Parts: sequence; C-alpha cells; structure tokens
Amino acid sequence: MPQVFIDGQPYEFEEGGKLLQFCLDQGIEIPHFCYHPALSVPANCRQCQVKAGLPARDRATGELVTDENGLPVINYFPKPQTSCSLDLVDGMVVHTQYDSEEVAAIQADNLEMMLINHPLDCPICDQAGQCPLQNQAYKYGPEGSRFEFEKVHKPKRVQLGPNVVLDAERCINCTRCTRFTAEVTESHQLSIVNRGDKNYPMTAPGQILDDPYSMNVCDLCPVGALTEDYFRFKARVWEMSKTPSVSDFGAKGINVDYWVRDNQILRITPRANLDVNEYWMPDAARLVYERYNENRLQGARVNGAAVAWETAYDEAARVLKDADGSVLFLGSAWATVEDNYLLTKLADTVGGEVLGYIPYHEEGRGDGWLISDDRAPNAQGCERLGIRALDASLLQSKLAGASVLYVLDDDPVAAGVLSGADLEGVTVILHASHATNETLPHAAVAFPAAMCVETIGTYVNEAGRAQRLRPAKMIRSMNRSLMMAMGTGQSRIDRGGTPFDRWHDVTNKVDCLPGWTVIPELADRLGRPMHYKGPERVMDELAETNPAFTGATYPAMDLLGVALEDIGEPA
Amino acid sequence: MADTPTLLTGETKAGDWRNYERVILPPIKDLHKIEVYEDHGGYDALRAVVKDGKFDPKGLTDEVKASGLRGRGGAGFSTGLKWSFMPPVDPEKPRYLCCNGDESEPGTFKDRQIFEYNPHLMIEGIVLACYAMTIKTCYLYIRGEYIDYVHHVQKAVDEAYAKGYVGKNVLGTDFSTDIVVHWGAGAYICGEETSLMNSLEGKRAYPRIKPPFPAQAGCWGMPTTINNVETLADVPLIVNRGAEWFASIGPEKHTGPVLYGISGHVNRPGVYEYPTGMLITDLLEIAGGARGGKRIKAVVPGGSSTPPLTWDMAEPATMDAETLREAGSSMGTAGLCFLDEDTDMVSFTRRIAHFYHHESCGQCTPCRDGTGWLEKLLTRIDEGEGYTRDLGLLLELCDQMEGRTVCALADAAAWPVRWGIRRFRDEFEAKCKAAAFAGASLGDGSALETGELTPTGTPTT
Ligand SMILES: Cc1cc2nc3c(=O)[nH]c(=O)nc-3n(C[C@H](O)[C@H](O)[C@H](O)COP(=O)(O)O)c2cc1C
Ligand code: SF4
Ligand code: SF4
Ligand code: FES
Repeated sequence: MPQVFIDGQPYEFEEGGKLLQFCLDQGIEIPHFCYHPALSVPANCRQCQVKAGLPARDRATGELVTDENGLPVINYFPKPQTSCSLDLVDGMVVHTQYDSEEVAAIQADNLEMMLINHPLDCPICDQAGQCPLQNQAYKYGPEGSRFEFEKVHKPKRVQLGPNVVLDAERCINCTRCTRFTAEVTESHQLSIVNRGDKNYPMTAPGQILDDPYSMNVCDLCPVGALTEDYFRFKARVWEMSKTPSVSDFGAKGINVDYWVRDNQILRITPRANLDVNEYWMPDAARLVYERYNENRLQGARVNGAAVAWETAYDEAARVLKDADGSVLFLGSAWATVEDNYLLTKLADTVGGEVLGYIPYHEEGRGDGWLISDDRAPNAQGCERLGIRALDASLLQSKLAGASVLYVLDDDPVAAGVLSGADLEGVTVILHASHATNETLPHAAVAFPAAMCVETIGTYVNEAGRAQRLRPAKMIRSMNRSLMMAMGTGQSRIDRGGTPFDRWHDVTNKVDCLPGWTVIPELADRLGRPMHYKGPERVMDELAETNPAFTGATYPAMDLLGVALEDIGEPA
Repeated sequence: MADTPTLLTGETKAGDWRNYERVILPPIKDLHKIEVYEDHGGYDALRAVVKDGKFDPKGLTDEVKASGLRGRGGAGFSTGLKWSFMPPVDPEKPRYLCCNGDESEPGTFKDRQIFEYNPHLMIEGIVLACYAMTIKTCYLYIRGEYIDYVHHVQKAVDEAYAKGYVGKNVLGTDFSTDIVVHWGAGAYICGEETSLMNSLEGKRAYPRIKPPFPAQAGCWGMPTTINNVETLADVPLIVNRGAEWFASIGPEKHTGPVLYGISGHVNRPGVYEYPTGMLITDLLEIAGGARGGKRIKAVVPGGSSTPPLTWDMAEPATMDAETLREAGSSMGTAGLCFLDEDTDMVSFTRRIAHFYHHESCGQCTPCRDGTGWLEKLLTRIDEGEGYTRDLGLLLELCDQMEGRTVCALADAAAWPVRWGIRRFRDEFEAKCKAAAFAGASLGDGSALETGELTPTGTPTT
C-alpha cells in the first residue's frame, strides 16, 4: 500500500484521495473552511495550507535519490499547499501546523486576514459556540490583530428568502452556500456578487432563496452569516443540548439533531448519514419543531376528565376485559416498532385483531429526494411486523360488530378513515400526542403519548433501514430507561445538564408516556405481564425472533442505523 | 552567481534596432482590411501550412518551439512547449484555443493595437495555432471595455470567414476551425487564464486551482490552450520567415519582436515595436525622453504588477526576461511606465494598490483582505497619517499574501508594494510620522522598534 508521512508518522492510504480528508479521517485536525466532503473543492479559503514534498527521483533511472545517511531526499513544493486539494502520492512528506512553525504561522496569518473585516460580533451572533471560525481562530489564529481601520461594511439582516437571513459582514466568502445551490440542489439561487472584500452571496435581482432545502446553507456556513430565520436569537448554542436521533417527517428517516433548552425543541438540524440523507434535510422537516412543544395532550383522561394514570390503566384494562364484542386494534405508522410490536402482543392477550395502520402515503407529495410520498415515519416498521395499511371500508364494516377500538398514536377522525358518528357504538382507547387530536373527544380512555423526541425506539424508513430514536427532552415522569438514554450521544457539555439547562423546569415537561410503558401496564392488569426491562429488550427479542428485524439491536443500530433484509412487497 | 557573467551590461541586446522594420504593426495603410492584408502577403502562412503542407501539426509546434517565442501575456512561458502539452486527440473530446484579449493590466495597451491595425495577423495566427493543436474552436476573449474593438475584430473575423480562411474546410482543405469572438465580462481578473475560462462558460470569473492545468481540463473541462493576442500574432511571422529568423531577433533566451507599451512621464507615450532586449534607456529615447526635461527616477518595466526599478537599476537593464530578473523585476507585458523625479512614489504605490484591491476577485482570504489592508495602510501613509512601523507591517503583509493564493493576483498586488518600499524607502519614511503610535514620543530612532503591534502569534496547540 502507498504511504504518506505526516509529521514524521507513516500512514497507509488508498489511492485517489486528497490530503485534508485523509488527515481528518486519521484524526489529524487541519483548520479549514471552504472544504466540504459533499461539495467541489475550490481551495479558496486558503486555511488548510501545509508544507508538502515528494521524494526526489533520479530522472534517468527513476530510482529514489538518497542523502549521505541513506534517507530519501525530499523535494518540497516551493509554495505551501492547500491540503484540501492536494492529491495523496506515495512517499509524500507532509508537515502540518503540529510540527512546523512555518505552517502554523501561515495558518495564523491567514486567520488574521480573515478576521480583519469580520465584525467579531460573537456576543450577539447565533453561530458563536459552534462556529468553525471562532473555534479555529482560538486554536490556530494570531493572538491579536494589527488591523487599525474601519472594517468593510456590507448588508446586514437581509431576508434572502422565507427561511434564511444573511449578515454579509460576517461572510468569509467560502462559497459553500453558493456551491450548495449550484451543485446539490441545482437551484442556482445563490451567487457571490461584487468583487474582493466587498463580495457576499446574494440571489439574482428580484429573486428569493426559496429552495425547499435552503436552510442547509445555514448549516454549511462556517460563520454566522447565514442563519435560520426561525431560530435567530432564540438560544445560545451552549444553553441547549443536542441529541442525535431521527426525524419523524416522512418515511425517509432523515437523521437529525434535536436542540433542546428547557425541555423544548428549539431547532432541528441534519445529522450526517451518507446512507440516508447525506448531510442535508428539507426546510419543511425543520419547521415542524413547534409540533413537539405546543398543544400537547397532558395527563391521562377517562371520558374527558383528567385522572391519575393508574385510574386510566384500570379503566382501560376493565374495558378490554369486559368487551362483549370484538376488540379492534389500530397500529400506527407514527409509533415505534417497539410500541407496535407490544400492541400486537396486547391484541393477542385479549384475542383482538390488529386491523392495520392508517397509511399516510400520497402519490406525488414527495420530491424524489428527501421529501417522501409517505408523510409518516414508520409504515415500513409496521409492515415488517405484519401490520398492513388499513383498508378504511374494512374497518367500518368490522366496527359494526365491535365493542372496543384501541388506537395507537394516531387520529383516525382527522385522517378521514372514520367519522365521529362511526365511533358512537364503540368504546375508544386512544394514545394521542396532541390535545387537538380529533378522535380525542370520542375516547373513553386517553393516554397522552410521548413523541419521537421523548421516547426510545426504532423507526424503519422506506428503504428498510432501522434507526434509533433517542429522547431529546424530558417528560413529566421519567422512568429508568429514559433516564439512562437521556444524554447518550449528546454533546459533552450537556451530559448531565449545564447550569443554564432548566432540565428540571416542570412547566415544559409534558405529562405523557411512551407506548412501551403504557401497554405493559395494561398487560399486567389483564394477567399476562410483559417482562421487558425497557424497549431495548423488546427490540432484542424482535431481532432474535423476526427475520424482518434480524440484526436490528440497539448497539448495532447505534447512530447510523442498520439496513434490514429486503422482505419484498407485502403479501 | 559570482561566476555567471552579469546581463546588466548597459549594452543593447536588440542588435541593430535603429534599422528595425516593424512586422507586427508594419506601416501599411488600412492593413485591417482583408484585401490590403492579402496584398501584403496576408494568409500566405496559413496557405503554406494548411494547404501546401509546409508543416504538419507537430512540425508547426516544433517550429514555434524552435523560434523561442515566449508568451506575451505576462508569464513569458515558451509557446511551443505549451502547445506540446495538449494531450493526443481524442475524438470524443472537443479541444479549445482561447485567445486572451482581456488586456487589463495597468500600463498595458498593446493588444488593442493589433485589434485595430492588424487583426488579420492575429486571426491567421489563431487558425495556425488551431491547426498545430488540431483544435476546431477558438474563443477570442476581448476585454469588456473594448466595445469598439469587439465590433472591429468581429468584422475582420467575418471577412476571414467569407474568404474561407476560417470556418468549415479552411482554404478548401478538410481542416476546419471556428473563431468565436467573446465580449469579456469587464474585470481585470477575467484575464487570468482559468478565470477567463469560467467567464467564458458563463460562470463567475473565479480563477481555478491548478492542477488540473488547462491542457488537461480547461474550457468545459476539455483540453484547452490559452495564448495572448500578441503571442498568436507572432505565429504567421514565424511560419513566413522561419524559426531561425525569429530566434535571431533579440537575446537568445527571449526572442522576437515585441510591442512595448510606453507610458508615464515621457514626451511620446505609445506602443512601439522593437526587438526584445532593448535597453530601457533606448526606449526612453524612442518615447521622446522625459517630459519637461526632468530626470527619470523609476521605471515599472512590465505592467503595474512588476516591481519598480530605480533609475540606477534600470539604466544597465534590457527588456528581456533574464536580464530583468537579474535587475530585480520582470518583463511582464512589456508595458513600461517611466516616472520622473516629481513622482510621489507613495502615491504611485497607493494608486496601484487601489487597483489590485478593486480587482481582487475575492476568493482567497489573503488576497481579498490583504489587498484592502495594503491600500488602507498606504492611504494613511500617503495622507501623512502613517507611522514608520506601518512600513514593516506592509512588508509582512506582502509575505502573508505572496505565493499563498489560487492565482497570481495576490503576488501582483504585493510586488509593487514590497519593492516600492524596499527601493524607495526614504520617500515612504519621509511621509510617515516617526512615532510608533499616535502620541508616543520617541527620543531616538532605535526606539521605533519598540512600538510594534501585536505580532502574529503562533498557535498554542
Ligand atoms: C490576474 C491576472 C491577469 C491576467 N490578465 C491577462 C490579460 O489581460 N491578458 C493576457 O494575455 N494575459 C493575462 N494574464 C496571463 C494569463 O493568465 C496567461 O498566462 C496568458 O494569457 C497566457 O498567454 P501567453 O502564454 O501567450 O502569454 C493574467 C494573469 C493574471 C494572474
Ligand atoms: S455566507 Fe457563509 S457559506 Fe456563504 S460564502 Fe459566506 S461564509 Fe461561506
Ligand atoms: S489570488 Fe486574488 S484574484 Fe486570484 S483567485 Fe485568489 S482572490 Fe481571486
Ligand atoms: S479548506 Fe483548503 S483552501 Fe479552504
């Protein structure tokens, strides 16, 4: 294998790569701004420069030239090289800022230049705390500035489109944003305008940045020049915890980070998963954040009245036990695999039937990329459990002879599969996340349901990839499983909370519970206890017993998920 | 260096230049008209090569190599060698020639003479170059501000098409090539070769990183060669009179006729055609000497980016790459600017710095921000508000810019500042306040050093 020597250490490499990415893969940090693995390499920020050379070869024989000590003679490039654009070559010798003062000085010089026209308004900048410029300036920059002039002024607070705001003074002109619209979405909505230190990204005159993926430029922007309109000035990044999980926006299974302060979701950003969403997510999937905070159903109810959870469990168990007609169950494409699986077990316990899940598939809704035709996140998980897309007419005909309808995390009335009148003769037990749920008025027993941001579980995306949900915010009564999972994979400062975190602020903790807590309570009362020490064990059992979930254990799924065996089209 | 004899002999290397007969811009009336051009042997070279088989493509490339022709666009690279970098013809891949007529370097105004007075020489050169490299399309990129020349040259190209010198089946042979006149985007940076290609493709004129070089991936990612207008205009002359003739003009390593653009404080500024290797003093004489009988203090020999020479340095120097390198500057575009004793070198340097600040494309950090910083410091000094220590800072900023960017504009911006200060330091210091900081009164000169700004720190990691 070819070798490259970085700061005196040999490393083997695969042909075809560039030095910067190789170093980053080896854990050798080289400061950089314009480079992004999913975009072309313009090498324009000039931050990643290193000293590099190649072993000298005899022109005639092609043999390596050695010095008097038998060591290869290195011909260094006369100029420093941008590592992001430098091809790895066998025998190449590289000196980074770690062992070359010259390189360290070059990088510091570059940062000094970068900062002379940067407003340094970190105290009021949303990017502060997660800013590559701030971080790298502290690590690799000069200790001060020798610039004594007024900085260049550029437009500020420019609403580029519905979701993105530009502060051109902060821009360091890395062109990541323009390359994104040119190369990734090909909407070409952003371009750099003007020249030299006056330039900044802008839309064409009369145009706006309304690319459905526009907010990815905010994630790409290495400074606070591009910010998400909905999130501006909402919270400092260090006041929030950031939890790696999966979005419930559609069946793509977009990997995300949920940003939480005071048990409220304030921001959703994409998390890189090259097999799913790469580095991106659509704007629409971010703008759902309020759904997790607002209009939540709080506290168990029996016939509309608030009751203790125990009372609701007793009542639901009684209803199920006393049913004198058939008991119908609806699974849910919004609920996790674990919850749906427990629901099938509960149905077995009472001899009921799981009729299916309400499908949210709308032909043509998607964009062929990260917006799926399927609005719900886990239809594929249901299918793999043998729960099929519901036939509404079948449900209505069965309802005639039924006495109980048990609905997991859904709203059949709003979905249009049932009307209020249809429900008159049956007792409805409902898990519902929102107070606005239209089936709720018809429910005899209602269990407020934890949403994807509050639970532990698994979604299977439309491509058959099983991915883990982690709790990003606390609910009123945290149990042992949730406590243990809380903060796993979170950013370091948030582990266990920070002084700014009002994790214990009870006002924002929703009084709800995950299905995997509620269903076993009912099973207990029905005399068929489920002995799981938390949802992880539920998944262990499925991975063991159901070939459609082989391999999908929590450790295996970890942060990037597991591609499940193809089970073919549903029968 | 001790044993290499100096090139700064003070003697001309241009031979009998006083009897030189112009070949690029010969004194022929209405030469821009195709009939007149034809009457004076125009398109004979093309006929000889394409039709009569005087050279095959490789033979023509070798002939150009043998002539010693070096690019007239600024970098002075061997033209024949550049042509030979083109990969073998791949029928799947179109190949392009770009003729660089962006001419924007201050002090450079020679290509426009060719556009105006002898466009067919350039057109003939283009078709020959296309033949040598088996290229079917040439983009002739003309500076955006040269609106009249765009039309003028287009007319000449149309005439050449009509006469069968360009287009399908050149002179009835099976060699075909097109010339597309492209109106430039009006920025200095569009003249940088890869930037020109982006501009041509309709993109923002950002220079590209190299590698890949244009011969590997140029316009639209296809093999491309780019040459200056004057460079290509030399090609028919080489074909007609032979490489040997061309190589016999001027010094051995930098041969041929050159259009010297002379400006500044001289009596007759203008474009003068002479051999390479002319003494700068002779060129001053040709341009009618210094205006008002003044003493010349400095010369910028090759366009605004080339380091200025003091008169002492310029006097023994001749206009060819090797000699000018030894003298401490470079040939650039052979656009000489003479500055007389009344010139304020600080103001002059400031004005140049303004140009590069204005024209930096803004891609690279050191160039985008460095050019502005240079200008701001020079402005302050020029206005009497600068400090002596600003000179040290300026030199350090030049270090921080040179050789660290995508294209050579940052170097072009740094050189005049660096060498202006190095060579005319007295003038700069005379305009500076002696104190290191405002209000700080320093007793003696040595204390000047103590008022340093925060040095660029090295990282603590
Ligand atoms: C900033 C910059 C501007 C340039 N402008 C021009 C120009 O206006 N005209 C030109 O012929 N070459 C210009 N050049 C040089 C070209 O990049 C290129 O070297 C030249 O066109 C090659 O032609 P030649 O080999 O015939 O000289 C410029 C280079 C730089 C770095
Ligand atoms: S706005 Fe941000 S992403 Fe776009 S060029 Fe400027 S710094 Fe880069
Ligand atoms: S050196 Fe200057 S002009 Fe050249 S690419 Fe970089 S920023 Fe643009
Ligand atoms: S990361 Fe290499 S130049 Fe920007």
